Amino acid sequence: MVKLSLKMTLARKGRLFLTSLAIILGTAFLSGTFIFSDTLNRTFDQLFSDVYRDVDAYVRSSNFVEVQFGGEQRARIPIGELDTVRSVPGVVNSVGAISAFARIINKDGTPLGSTNGPPNFGGIVSESFSGLWSADSGRLPVGPTEMMMDSWSAKKGRFQVGDTVRVNAQSGSRQFTLVGIATFGNVSSPGGATFALFDQPTASEFLLAPGFVDAFLVQSDGSLTDVELAAKIDAALPASAKLETLTGAEITKEEQDLIGEALGFLSTFLTAFSLIALGIGCFVIYNVFSITAAQRLRENALLRAIGASRRQITRALLIESLIIGLLGSILGFFAGIGLSRGLSALLGAVGFDIPASGLSIELRTVIITIITGVLVTVLSAILPARRAGRVPPLAALRDTAFETTGRNRSRFTIGLVIFALGATALMAAGAGANTAFLGLGVLLVFAGVLIVGPGVARPIALWLGHPIEKIRGVTGAMARQNAARNPKRTARTAAPVLIGVALVTAFTAFASSVKAEIRDSIGSQFRGDYVVSAPNNGFGGLNPTLVDELDSMPQVAQATALGYATIKINGKGEFVQVFDPQTSPGLFEIEMVQNKQESLTPNGILVSESRAKSRGWVIGSKIDLEMVDGTMRELAIQGTFRPTGFFSPYFVDRQMFIGTNNSYFDSVIYLKLTEGVSAAEAHDALVAVTTDKGLGELQSRDEFIDSQSGQVNQILALIYGLLALSVIIAIVGIVITLLLSVFERQREIGLLRAIGMTRSQVRTTVRWESVITSMFGAVIGVVLGILMGVVLMAVLADNGVAAFRLSIGSTLVILVLSFVIGVLAAIYPARRATKVEIMQAIATM
Amino acid sequence: MSLASAAAEAANATKIYGEGDNEIHALDGVSIRFDVGRFSAIMGPSGSGKSTLMHCLAGLDSLSSGSVSIAGTDLAPLNDKALTSLRREQIGFVFQAFNLIPTLNAFENIVLPLSLGGQSGDEAWINQVIDTIGLRDRLKHRPSELSGGQQQRVAIARALASKPKIIFADEPTGNLDSKTGREVLDFMRRAVTDLGQTIVMVTHDAVAASYADIIVFLKDGKVAGEMTEPTPERVLDYLKHLGE
Repeated sequence: MVKLSLKMTLARKGRLFLTSLAIILGTAFLSGTFIFSDTLNRTFDQLFSDVYRDVDAYVRSSNFVEVQFGGEQRARIPIGELDTVRSVPGVVNSVGAISAFARIINKDGTPLGSTNGPPNFGGIVSESFSGLWSADSGRLPVGPTEMMMDSWSAKKGRFQVGDTVRVNAQSGSRQFTLVGIATFGNVSSPGGATFALFDQPTASEFLLAPGFVDAFLVQSDGSLTDVELAAKIDAALPASAKLETLTGAEITKEEQDLIGEALGFLSTFLTAFSLIALGIGCFVIYNVFSITAAQRLRENALLRAIGASRRQITRALLIESLIIGLLGSILGFFAGIGLSRGLSALLGAVGFDIPASGLSIELRTVIITIITGVLVTVLSAILPARRAGRVPPLAALRDTAFETTGRNRSRFTIGLVIFALGATALMAAGAGANTAFLGLGVLLVFAGVLIVGPGVARPIALWLGHPIEKIRGVTGAMARQNAARNPKRTARTAAPVLIGVALVTAFTAFASSVKAEIRDSIGSQFRGDYVVSAPNNGFGGLNPTLVDELDSMPQVAQATALGYATIKINGKGEFVQVFDPQTSPGLFEIEMVQNKQESLTPNGILVSESRAKSRGWVIGSKIDLEMVDGTMRELAIQGTFRPTGFFSPYFVDRQMFIGTNNSYFDSVIYLKLTEGVSAAEAHDALVAVTTDKGLGELQSRDEFIDSQSGQVNQILALIYGLLALSVIIAIVGIVITLLLSVFERQREIGLLRAIGMTRSQVRTTVRWESVITSMFGAVIGVVLGILMGVVLMAVLADNGVAAFRLSIGSTLVILVLSFVIGVLAAIYPARRATKVEIMQAIATM
Repeated sequence: MSLASAAAEAANATKIYGEGDNEIHALDGVSIRFDVGRFSAIMGPSGSGKSTLMHCLAGLDSLSSGSVSIAGTDLAPLNDKALTSLRREQIGFVFQAFNLIPTLNAFENIVLPLSLGGQSGDEAWINQVIDTIGLRDRLKHRPSELSGGQQQRVAIARALASKPKIIFADEPTGNLDSKTGREVLDFMRRAVTDLGQTIVMVTHDAVAASYADIIVFLKDGKVAGEMTEPTPERVLDYLKHLGE
């Protein structure tokens, strides 16, 4: 029997290939995700073990604020304690270290490196402990006017030793003489980041504050173990300094874990999409096996008649699925290697640069990919295989090759009940229940729709086919009837399209709601003419003195700065929006509910109405605040405002940060022009002090609003890219089904050709059948997608402020694309249909 | 009758399958004409070439040499598109089984060749045809809801609907019991006598053949003889003689 199923499998090479294709694509995504994540992890692990290779102990502040989405901000430490560390026995050398924001500016005034990619660092390089930095050319910088940079940046910006280089950092925008170019270990730049390096006093003053660094790097003389040394240092440091000492191994691991966590989020995200692709692949396989089993009814019945047992028939089909699964997964694994490169490219295309490095292929990837692929294939084949085994031997004598399509009432009811349960779970999630309800709800709604699908496929396909029949006449009528003649098959074929379209619709609707929200809130708050903005990915931005410089220009009537910061509110790390209550009125307007924004003092805080309500705060309530540097304050609630969509529910006074020992950058500076100054005149003057120095981007009000809401498009593009593979699998599914249907209807096509149907009419019939099938999936998908979008919006938008907004245009585009998918999927099957030999088709009558 | 024009004509028609030693002459220089307004039958043992002759006459298959024409049109120079429209407009077909499109109802099947050509046809004529087959009350039924005999009658109605120059019927009663078969043959007879149509029927059934005006006998790809005013007994007799 094994031999027989092997022979039967190989006898249908074309079908074998197409079925495998669904599995190949699904598993390729899975293995691609693994390879991509492993490679990335290894790259960063290697990077951090390089960075701390010569570090035996690491001293840093014990004050920190945890930042949302992983990571933390730690207080600066005074350089004076370095002497204490150096005096500890066993310490051979110790230096200060800084890793702060510093952006190198190209000769043409543009920032060097990508604004969304690896960070732009500023740091210390010193003779006594250069770490892994070694001078490529030139020498180490000494004094306040000299700098060094990494060789990747030098190459990219075409800088040479002796050049004057502009660098922007916390203390402003300055020019330095490039005295050296350095290589990090044996790579030009670790992880693709850029580095501006200075001597310690210059770095402290320019990047942080005079006399402060981020950490001390300690080298041991080898007389003690690292653990003993760290303990000794810890003991030597005064408790009042609030410092802690880690071993080199500990800090390495901590940094690796931190980035590992962030990467883990990325790989979970990618894995989710590869599982969607695999799930869609399941449908395709299930469908193909169902159709093949039905078409082989007579063959199987004959085998039963001559003595094969039920189990043998079932097993033969399962073995076939095993072969396909194995073959597909192995090919999928190899395709995944290429795909991991594609994922890098995709992320790069939407602005997330990934450091290039060799591929990391682990045995685990091979095993998981192949086991998943085989399992998915065999599981998808079980039901059809069992159905095939139940064929009565007598069926060999009957003349039916069609699947039974009796409408099943209980099936319909079960589907509706599951759908209702899912919808209830979604509504609960929308009303604020646990987000686990969201996932459960989505799954149940999909399951319900897929179960009900065959029951509604016929009426919906007929309805969709109506206009086609009107336009195309008899070929349209036949296409319409063909799409409706086998509702189970149509529903199964449309399912992948349905899932894909639902997801695309949901994400698109969600994105347009978010965009509209951003547009509205910026639009209502911002009343000026121009904006200077810097991309703020939680690292760096505009130096806080820039706003004063702009304000003093004669062309500028009013300037106010806005930024973000992390502080602890009642012991919990929170993002807060930072603004200036004195300069903002009339230019940056917060929609206040109680009190006025200009009455905020550095001892107060503004809270969103809904947050105040949920915490039971009223005007005058006190909350505890801790800043990154450890400063504790008690703040009074001085006003409430109407929350704006996705922004922080807190506003604090900018004076809380300026002049303190906490890193703070502005993200945007809003400007109002002096009356009588023309836009062109102002623009030229503003460019000279901003973009010409690589200080942010200068945009008009409209440009700014467009670009802010446009950021959502990047994420959306990434999601589209990741869903593309699922859509391809869905197309493959339609192609296979159509091919099998064409094969099944050879006699019918032969008859039609004989009585006068032209080849192009044959093509038309197949094409419109395909279009009806894909539109069936698309129409239901769009409805489901909108439903999911509404719920997603309600769940994710804090307190349900943001309104759901459906983009009619995008929805139409999705429907048009589904139409195109139907047309594309039909090309090959339609050609095959026209190749049906009339003579052969008639001969088999 | 002798002055009647030819609905279909074959001249020295030869059809060779295979090559070299495997060469089979399915048709070996057949010259024959089928007159307008007649019910003709083609008979012969299995492998005599009767089906091949019909397929070549109908433009479904091409000759190796020789020529065929339908109502004076030589088929040889026609491309697929022209052949298709010729089949649609000038030829009607009735096959042994699987004659109807399962997704279309009886009426839609009857007018299918017309619809494919984007025409609505001669309504009075179609009504007359439908009344003749006696299935007016079953027009909205799908083929699966019709009996075998009814299906064949719908097929003949379809063949007639476009008023073709000639109708080819390939074993039209092969799948029917003898009573239903006779009904179908009666109906074909009437289509020729009463409606003035031209039918060429391939059959190996002597009773069926006896409904025709003339029978052409084929053997080994050649015309072996003709018989007018046939009766089943004479046909069987002749076939016995032919087999020797």
